[in-house]
Amino acid sequence: MKTLPFEKPIEILYKELKRRESKGYALMGLDELVEKQIEEVYKHITPYDIVLVARHPDRPQPQDYIEKLFTNFTELHGDRSGEDDASIIGGTAFFNGNPVMVIGTRKGHDVKETLRYHSGMVKPSGFRKIARLTRLASDTLHIPIITLVDTPGAMVSAETEVNGQVSAIYSAISALLDANVPVISVITGEGESLAALSLTISDRLLMLKYAFFAVLSPEAASSVLFKNLDKKREIAKELHITADELLGMNIIDRIIEEPAGAAHRFPDIVMKNVKEALAEELEFVSKEKIDVLKRKRREKIRKAGVYSE
Amino acid sequence: MGLFNKKKVIVPVIPAESQDVKVRCTSCGRLIDYDALKKNLKVCPHCGYHFRMSAAERIALLTDKGSFKEIGSPISSVDSLHFRDTVSYAERLKKLRDTIGLPNAVLTGTGKIDGVLTSIGVFAFEFISGTLGSATGEKLTELFEFAGKNDLPAIVVFSSAGERIQEGIYSLMQVAKVIQAIEDYKKSGGFFISVLTNPVLGGPAVIAMGGDVIVAEAGSYVGVSGPRVSEQVMKRALPKEAQKVELLQKKGFVDIVVTRFQLKETLGSILKFYRRWSL
Repeated sequence: MKTLPFEKPIEILYKELKRRESKGYALMGLDELVEKQIEEVYKHITPYDIVLVARHPDRPQPQDYIEKLFTNFTELHGDRSGEDDASIIGGTAFFNGNPVMVIGTRKGHDVKETLRYHSGMVKPSGFRKIARLTRLASDTLHIPIITLVDTPGAMVSAETEVNGQVSAIYSAISALLDANVPVISVITGEGESLAALSLTISDRLLMLKYAFFAVLSPEAASSVLFKNLDKKREIAKELHITADELLGMNIIDRIIEEPAGAAHRFPDIVMKNVKEALAEELEFVSKEKIDVLKRKRREKIRKAGVYSE
Repeated sequence: MGLFNKKKVIVPVIPAESQDVKVRCTSCGRLIDYDALKKNLKVCPHCGYHFRMSAAERIALLTDKGSFKEIGSPISSVDSLHFRDTVSYAERLKKLRDTIGLPNAVLTGTGKIDGVLTSIGVFAFEFISGTLGSATGEKLTELFEFAGKNDLPAIVVFSSAGERIQEGIYSLMQVAKVIQAIEDYKKSGGFFISVLTNPVLGGPAVIAMGGDVIVAEAGSYVGVSGPRVSEQVMKRALPKEAQKVELLQKKGFVDIVVTRFQLKETLGSILKFYRRWSL
């Protein structure tokens, strides 16, 4: 497993213990020592460390949650305008026996997948697919929508710009604003910029403890404000991107716990936590009348922001 | 020699007091008398390059003389995150209030364009590059609410570098907030004309795509993010051409591309069609 820079003390201890073990020392409670070290390291985690955890290649991604937590998933493809964006995975499925539309981003874990899904950077056809599946769930099937978000943002290239990237983002955002069914969103990893926004317009916004949600990546913010990438760590702190901070700011509704060591070490525990949280939230929104939900969704968005009069 | 060859590019957004300032054109590099440039609506007399205009200049350009009235209460940007980059955001805001006298990055009101009463919002690029913060988002939202209530068309002149990074996630939320207001307004029978000027990036560019009719000033650039961010973060060059409104028009995302000299008359002629039948 790839060890993140701030996780070095865990690896050092682990190697040292293994070395001693190989020399024939009988070590009691090796696991416990490592566990303690993990806890110690994660106690001092910084916002930029969280960014790195959220991007860890072994961290479960939306397609993994779909595979493990949903049944009878039928993937639906295409934007009906000439393309199918592989960075967006969506379709009908059952969650806990309930029919839902699940839409997620897809980054990929290894080089081959990363290339195929272009690192989860969403293309115009991806945003159009989000809009299309949202309308299908809302206007035709009348089933709740669950979105799973882990994306470095909208793709920026000559091709995506001339294919109407900004226009496509508008269509995804307006479709979700208008959805006449409950929408639950979970930010599982990276939640960056307009792509993350377009999938988090929801009645309940959940976030994993070591995910982050930002107006733009700390790297991009550093590039804009300092003309280079050197200040990404400081800017990550200034931006207030962690689940704890965003809960305090009323941007998100709930934090889904992750053990120290995070989802790349303990995927099964985190899967279970996501499943429980989603089940509770789905039950909660299913009890509410849709016009009540929608009114609350609209009010929350109308009130967003801090300014002085 | 090197010293003299060095091109000094000055792009004053705020009208300079001094009479004999010379400005070098960003595009063709020729020296222009600032007064002459102003008389020519800040369009380079040599190559036609469109310099940026301040919000006040934009209002004067587009609305009939004396017809513009600001609407709503003054809403100010605040440093909600205690954000610090090269300077603290609080300091930055204070300095802006003292120098340009605007509380946020958009000026909203009503005015007449060729005799037709309309609501109008104009981004102020001179206020932190016209970035979209909470106060700006609130003002835009109120503009669409006002236009809906008063049965007026809505025009927004965009010029913005994107989201207000110093307001973090609150800034991103404004994109959803304004789009919600636009969609409500359009559903109630409103008519929204987007005007794209150089540049419109990020969230504001997304918002601008809500226009029933999208008009662009010649030579403007519109897209998700600027070339430097793309190059440094995505590690690939973004050809500037891809974001040019002339190309976006060919691709079907912009209705009309006109020079600054034709902008008012273009808006006026579109406005005349709004609810013509019901008058």
